[in-house]
Amino acid sequence: MDAVTKEIFALVSPSLPYVIGVYAALWAGLMIYVGVTLSRLGRLERQLVLVEDALAKQGRTS
Amino acid sequence: MRREDAASFSRRKLTDVDKRRLTYIALAAAGVLTLTGFLLAFFVATPAQTIATLSTGGGRLFGGVFVSHPIDFGQKIFYFHVPVAITSFAVFFFTAYFGARFLITRDPAYDVKARIAAEVTLIFVLLTMLTGDLWTRWAWGVWWVWEPRLTTYFILTLLVVAYFVLRASVDDDERRAVYAAVFGIIAFIDAPISFAITRLVPSELHPVVIGVPGGLDGTQLAAFLIAMFGMLAFGFVIYQLRWREERVKERIEALKSALED
Repeated sequence: MDAVTKEIFALVSPSLPYVIGVYAALWAGLMIYVGVTLSRLGRLERQLVLVEDALAKQGRTS
Repeated sequence: MRREDAASFSRRKLTDVDKRRLTYIALAAAGVLTLTGFLLAFFVATPAQTIATLSTGGGRLFGGVFVSHPIDFGQKIFYFHVPVAITSFAVFFFTAYFGARFLITRDPAYDVKARIAAEVTLIFVLLTMLTGDLWTRWAWGVWWVWEPRLTTYFILTLLVVAYFVLRASVDDDERRAVYAAVFGIIAFIDAPISFAITRLVPSELHPVVIGVPGGLDGTQLAAFLIAMFGMLAFGFVIYQLRWREERVKERIEALKSALED
């Protein structure tokens, strides 16, 4: 690596952790939140089906 | 079931299905747009010069060679910091809007919508503060500066947090909804102030770069707009998912009560 490239890399690389940190935090934060919300919603929708079934059975028996 | 009821029920179900489909399309669009925007930001958008270069009008010596346009790599944060900030303003508008609709109609659904919009705002506010702080540290060498944009945005952050503190501190549902609606409307006033402060009070640290000569060029603007629409889509998706979650919860509770009766 020649002296110019070396110095440019030395100048740029200290900023890399910040830029990568921003990417990681932003994407991870958003994706985790969306993923958790989707999984919670799926669980609730399955629970809704169970309760609806239970109500339908109760309606048939009474 | 009468024919009109059946038709109405079928219409309502169709709308729900459409909304669900729209949410998933928006989620895919959000992922693709933000990713494209960020890739464009790194590989296509014209690199920005350092503030020092712009202010001195000259370059720097690297290894004894004069480089007239040193690249400000940290400026790449702009392409996701500004979109999340704009999304936070946009979503917070809906807290105020649904708050106003609640005060007019007294329909509890609007209170829930306002609360969900505030939740989504909080997510984007926190992301803005996080990305902004990292940029501040890199570009200015400090973690915080009390300049107009940062100060007004910090106030906005406190107001969004205070919205939830207020909600948690009132037990009565009706009073909580009224107080939160009024607070949400008043708190939103800070959003346009924070958005426009850089134009009202020019600052070297937060220069106006959109719609001004010497601002963003074509490639930079394209990367920025694509990332911004992606973030707005993310805001929409999170809001829709949370709203659906609240509705399903409410329906489960109603059905459980019917079962117990």
